[in-house]
Amino acid sequence: MAYQSLVYGFVFLPLCLIVYQIAPQKWRRRVLLVFSYLFFWLLSGKLIVYLLGTTVFVHCIGIWLEWLRSEQKTELASAERCEKKRIKGIYQKKSRRVLAFGVLLLLGTLAYLKYYNFFVGNLTGIFGSALPFTLEEKKILMPVGISFYTLQAVGYLADVYWGKIRAEEKLENTALFLAFFPQIMEGPICRYSDTAGTLYSGKPLEIDNLTDGYIRIFWGLFKKKVIADRLAIGVDAIFGNYTSYSGAMTVFAAVAYTVQLYMEFSGCMDIIIGSGQLFGVKLPENFRQPFAAQSAAEFWRRWHITLGTWFKTYIFYPVSMSGPVKKWNQYGRKHFGKYITMLGTSAMALFPVWLCNGLWHGARWSYIFYGMYYFTLILFGIAVEPLRDRVLELLHIGEKSAGLKFVRIAKTWLIIFTGELFFRADGLRAGIYMFRSIFRNFDLNSLFDGRLLELGMSRADLTAIVVGCVVVAVVGAVKERGVHVREALGRRPAFIRWSIYYALLLAVIVIAAYGDGYQAVDMIYAGF
Amino acid sequence: MKKIKKIILFMLIFVVILWICSTGIQLVVRNVNGSVSGRSRVFASVSAEKKNTIDVLVAGDSESYTSVSPMDLWDQTGIAAYDCGQPGQRIQETYYILKTAFKTQSPRLVVFETNTMFRDPGMLKNLQLSLTEPLGFYFPVFKYHNAWKALFDGPGGLKTCYKGFEIRDKTVSYEGDENYMKETRDKTEIPEVTRIYMDKIRNLCRKNGADLLLFSAPSPVNYNYKKYNALKEYAEEADLPYVDLNLRYRDIGIDWRKDSYDRGDHLNIEGARKVTEFMAKYLTDNYQLPDRREDSRWKEWNELAESYFKELEQCVIL
Repeated sequence: MAYQSLVYGFVFLPLCLIVYQIAPQKWRRRVLLVFSYLFFWLLSGKLIVYLLGTTVFVHCIGIWLEWLRSEQKTELASAERCEKKRIKGIYQKKSRRVLAFGVLLLLGTLAYLKYYNFFVGNLTGIFGSALPFTLEEKKILMPVGISFYTLQAVGYLADVYWGKIRAEEKLENTALFLAFFPQIMEGPICRYSDTAGTLYSGKPLEIDNLTDGYIRIFWGLFKKKVIADRLAIGVDAIFGNYTSYSGAMTVFAAVAYTVQLYMEFSGCMDIIIGSGQLFGVKLPENFRQPFAAQSAAEFWRRWHITLGTWFKTYIFYPVSMSGPVKKWNQYGRKHFGKYITMLGTSAMALFPVWLCNGLWHGARWSYIFYGMYYFTLILFGIAVEPLRDRVLELLHIGEKSAGLKFVRIAKTWLIIFTGELFFRADGLRAGIYMFRSIFRNFDLNSLFDGRLLELGMSRADLTAIVVGCVVVAVVGAVKERGVHVREALGRRPAFIRWSIYYALLLAVIVIAAYGDGYQAVDMIYAGF
Repeated sequence: MKKIKKIILFMLIFVVILWICSTGIQLVVRNVNGSVSGRSRVFASVSAEKKNTIDVLVAGDSESYTSVSPMDLWDQTGIAAYDCGQPGQRIQETYYILKTAFKTQSPRLVVFETNTMFRDPGMLKNLQLSLTEPLGFYFPVFKYHNAWKALFDGPGGLKTCYKGFEIRDKTVSYEGDENYMKETRDKTEIPEVTRIYMDKIRNLCRKNGADLLLFSAPSPVNYNYKKYNALKEYAEEADLPYVDLNLRYRDIGIDWRKDSYDRGDHLNIEGARKVTEFMAKYLTDNYQLPDRREDSRWKEWNELAESYFKELEQCVIL
């Protein structure tokens, strides 16, 4: 049952809404939990044991960390002043061990399920018969959403450890935080402090939330079903048989895939955040007009925001504050100067972030390459920043210059499209082959001589894609100016507002790629 | 309260818009041949038939429309039959294609090919079909929504269809066990969803004054004795006539080396003509179905039959 399915939107959600509303306030979070587990079971069947196991484990570790903190407090209260430092040290060590145990077990499970075969395949590929033991690939079934709920669980434990939040006392609350059905498949990766408040409140349904939620769901369906699912046909055709296409077609495929991925992922996010909104649950945004970014770094602050925030909070900052980095800072300043030290520090903190970013997407070298690609580009951006600033100053070009903005956005698009080409390609070799074909056999004519129509997308499909993209781009441009589209619409006369809503509903019903001639397209990020 | 009233009004207007769109799209679909392709095509084409001109509806999955040729039946008996099967038809689709046909036709008999009865796509898919099919029936804009594409792409080039039947002149022999109907007491389970929808189909036929006949087309890939036992038991329970041609494929002259289209899954034109010949006799023996050949309202059927036989003459069985 995907989020874009009719069963989800018109059976599962309404049923959950009705039961939620009928239930007394204190039971409502249980209603959400029951429906969340039902949703997960429908998707993953008996693999639900992983989620249940993770929930109980995370809850216990959280309680343990909280207990250690309260014990520390009690001991500190009655301890002599000279003893306090020693007690703090003991408890910090204990807490760190408990946290490490929790995090390692969570990440270990994820690593085993996700990377075991990758590891075995590479190990046997490199060492072959020289290995003193035999390793065989296994058929491992992975529960849906494990990459998302595991990060959420690790984040929760780290926040408890740092004292940013108190550990959740009720198991059902921890369970709901990890399993809330709208976000279990594709995120957003929520922080406990962001969602717990509205998630556990059990507030009655509100008309405004219901209307806004369903409008957002339909907006997501528009992006997914009108644009992304159509682009998937052409993208799959080119990437599935990349040796047969010219460089121009490869460029088309890279651009089309990037647009497909954005429409699909951000569309699903609209459905997810809209679903949460129906119950009054505020889920964090995952996208903020990423194609308006002026650098690779900015792009990642606008694209899959919650993943970026997670890496920043739980990898970048801890690494930046770690012993080795601090030591390097001291050593570097003494021996290499400020600039090199800053570069080294950035590299040390950014490298694990981007390695994890690549690996998080899946067990493939092309994903690792993708992570390293952004690591290199972002580090390069940091390295040339002083030079760039100097050049701009010499040329008297202001930071707000429209021309500069245009050049920066164009450059960022180039970076994004190239990255997505490698990301989507069927392996690193295929990616390199496709990238090289751009320079070897470009053949611009292939885009205009009818070969595009041989990819499975008809003229009507291409028209729907273009019109759909224009609509999304216009809405994006309005949002970029700081306008809240839904609120702005709310201020318009009912006739205009309703006409827009009817147009949206009809576009989804009439133009969407479903029914004859279309296959249902799985959600891409649910596969990560 | 004001907000709730507004939402109700919004929904009511939306239903009206859907109804207007549905009416409009039905007009397009009826008048622009080829504007609908794929699974919905049969819904559109049966709706486009002249009112009350079909006496026998043949429903089911691909086994149905590869085994009964309405033009041969017409030529031999003057019975106006229409194949309204779909590839891999689900039982919910069977119900709604019949419901669609009954809107404009008053058939006296529904021949239901039974292979569909064993298809169970699972709980979620069943739930989905139980939603989408009625939605498409009451608001055809959902079913035919892709018809807008004909504006840009032009009507699709469809193969000539003879009242739901296409001439399949390829032969890929069946080389498996010809005694595939080995007697046993075992039974294949008929899914619960099939039983529910079969009740609905029986009621629908009863309400519309049509008889229902269960029929299994010869297919060694799809049939065996276990299925026969299940169907026979079901037919007895439901008090429905049942004909299984797998038990008597030799009597009707099916030769699996020549009459199979794809290794015993479906029949080719030769096999279909043999089955149709049997059906012609069975229907005239057991039902009072009118001969429409001389009736001017069915003139178009005679013309279609002519082009059917012309195409047959040109056919070379590969």
